[in-house]
Amino acid sequence: MRRNRVWFMVGVGVVLALVIAVWAGSDEQRNATPLDPQNPDPDGAQALAQVLEDEGVDVTIVRSADALHDLEVDSRATVVVTSTDQLAPSTIRRLRDDTTGAEVVLVEPPHHVLAELDRRLEAGPADDETTGDCDDQRFDDLTITVDSARAYDTANGCFPSDGGFVLADGRDDASYLGAGQALTNDQVLRGDNAAVALRLLGSRDRLVWYVPTYDDALDDEAVSLWTFAPGWLAPSLWLTALAGVALILWRGRRLGRLASEPLPVVVRAVETTRSRGRMYRRSDDRGYAAGALRAAARHRIADHLRLGRGASAAEVVSAVARHLGRREEEIGALLSPTAPTPDSDPTLVRLAQELTQLMREVRRG
Amino acid sequence: MVISGRVPLLLLAGVAAVVLRPSGSTVLLWLLAVTLFVATDLLLAPAPGAAGLDRKEPGTVRLGDPAESVVTVSNDGGRSLRLDVRDAWQPTAGASGNRHHVVVPAGERRVLRTSLRPWRRGDLRSYGVTVRAWGPLRLSAKQRTFDLPGTVRSLPPFDSRKHLPSRLAQLRELDGRAAVRVRGQGTEFDSLREYVRGDDVRSIDWRASARTPHVVVRTWQPERDRRVVLVLDTSRTAAGRVGGADGVPRLDAAMDAALLLAALASRAGDRVDFVAGDLKVRARLRASGARDIALRLQEAMADLEPMIAEADWDTLAGAVQGFGKQRALVVLLTPVEPAAVQQGLLPVLPALTRHHRVVLASVRDPELNRLAEARDSVDEVYDAAAAEQELRRREWTTGVLGRLGVHVVDADAERLPPALADHYLALKAQGLL
Repeated sequence: MRRNRVWFMVGVGVVLALVIAVWAGSDEQRNATPLDPQNPDPDGAQALAQVLEDEGVDVTIVRSADALHDLEVDSRATVVVTSTDQLAPSTIRRLRDDTTGAEVVLVEPPHHVLAELDRRLEAGPADDETTGDCDDQRFDDLTITVDSARAYDTANGCFPSDGGFVLADGRDDASYLGAGQALTNDQVLRGDNAAVALRLLGSRDRLVWYVPTYDDALDDEAVSLWTFAPGWLAPSLWLTALAGVALILWRGRRLGRLASEPLPVVVRAVETTRSRGRMYRRSDDRGYAAGALRAAARHRIADHLRLGRGASAAEVVSAVARHLGRREEEIGALLSPTAPTPDSDPTLVRLAQELTQLMREVRRG
Repeated sequence: MVISGRVPLLLLAGVAAVVLRPSGSTVLLWLLAVTLFVATDLLLAPAPGAAGLDRKEPGTVRLGDPAESVVTVSNDGGRSLRLDVRDAWQPTAGASGNRHHVVVPAGERRVLRTSLRPWRRGDLRSYGVTVRAWGPLRLSAKQRTFDLPGTVRSLPPFDSRKHLPSRLAQLRELDGRAAVRVRGQGTEFDSLREYVRGDDVRSIDWRASARTPHVVVRTWQPERDRRVVLVLDTSRTAAGRVGGADGVPRLDAAMDAALLLAALASRAGDRVDFVAGDLKVRARLRASGARDIALRLQEAMADLEPMIAEADWDTLAGAVQGFGKQRALVVLLTPVEPAAVQQGLLPVLPALTRHHRVVLASVRDPELNRLAEARDSVDEVYDAAAAEQELRRREWTTGVLGRLGVHVVDADAERLPPALADHYLALKAQGLL
């Protein structure tokens, strides 16, 4: 008993711990995407987002193109776009339309996004350490130190490296940051990364952090299996389908109609008797059924004891009592037509079985 | 119009063309080419009517014995015919391998044999002959079904034949018996022979003994040339299947009994007439002294099926009277079904019993007694009550028939033929025919 109580307490404890863990976990919004403002992992950017918020910048996290559209971004805001590899042509167009006037920072835009923005733009590897040197006074003498970075060969920009810029100025107030690692929780404290990030993203009152996803892309922008299929595959499938139709026509045509059989009428001979039995059953006519069974038993016994066809019920009862050496009332309760009728189905079954038993005894004795 | 399996294969071969020229138009062109080939082939295919069809009737077989359906295909035209022929029969005729592929050169004929194994009694009919004539490329064919009537008659089984030898032996024992037991009405004088110890002294012919040095007795033989009329009821009561799930319809059991009695009576020198019917007379047979009475009776009964209608006993009794005024043993092969007997049979019985000796042979259903004895559940008890009622009504009907002078032979399907034969022999022995 005591042991049981201990196990019970342990069980309750485990359940409580689980509930608390789940509750605590559900409270915290976490996201495992690299550079996500809600990702506390080494490759996330939660630290930067929180510091910006603490510094008085209004940080809004947006995860879909529709939400970005609803936000009505104006010139007082900075828009930073991470996970740029998930931008589709249509989402890029919407991003451009929805952020007119605002300063847009695309973090490490991949080739297909750059191609959409500016066809001539090329990206190449950059030095791990680059020092700010540009028109923009904010980044003077600041150094970005990351594990790997990329440079974009635009006309203007900051942090020059190998003929391009790590922070490149694109068209329409857009700029491309080739050193996304500078924003991560892991590397934001290296060199002057923190200062660069804060000055880049915190220069205006409002920061819109847009994390695009493929879900916003239009249906026909998706890449399907057909893109890789050889040109002859579709016509071949058409031909195969036609061959299938021909196959159906070939196998479906019978050699003459089905032969049918004129069937004679055959029913079970006892069918009428059985249905009469079911009718008694449905109307619960126990009195009638008991009467029929008793009459049949009297008849058989009278035949067996050679009492003759005209023997009355009373004569049969007394003859049976004499034959078996039992009391007349006892036999009468079974055989007599005036005996009480069974009041339930089990009693009727018992009566029927007792009658069978009685007939057997008469035959034996 | 019919296409062959070559058409889908030909269409599939188009994949090679599509690989060489991957375009939708290639598919269309290929389809067009195949359609053109098929259409040409169809145009060139000979008409199925060019094949002359002739059938040889398979005739009559015993139930379960093999038969053969023979169809001759002749080609009177100038072109060779490439045909698929199906000789269709109704399923119970048991036609196996009835699809034939045959090439008939010009001016020749081919014989197609389909083996049949009927597994139902009656006239089993053919279902037409379908001919498919292929074109020269064998891509497409023309098809038509011709009505070529054919019938295989499958005789009802004579399972009770096994009882015949023992009953014939009993019949021979009746012959030449010189006992007073046999004497009386309905026996005929046979011959005189010498007295041996044990003969009844009352059968000594004193007048003949006076002319010879020995004591001579007369011997008697059972009467010959009596008439037996079998009346087979094919009404609704004959449709009932007796016995368990694999039981036989009452009609089949009654046929078996009729066959045994007919075979026995014809051997005993009696004439057997047969009539079967329900609302009207379905079959009638006068078989005066025929030796192969069983076979002729089987032929007459082959195509009888029970009708869902009440028997018109006026008509049937009229048919019995139509066989002649001579006194006969009239055997009614109908079940003791209380309702049917009371309403149909009882009114006409007095007219029959006035002229003839009437016996009613009834196929009993053992299932009814089983139903009356099973009493383990509520359903069974109610069924038992209904069965007991039915049994009592039957007994009462049998009693009524007995009072009208009709003897009732009531037995299970397998026991009825010998029971009826034994009753006939008993009547014969007593000279009561």
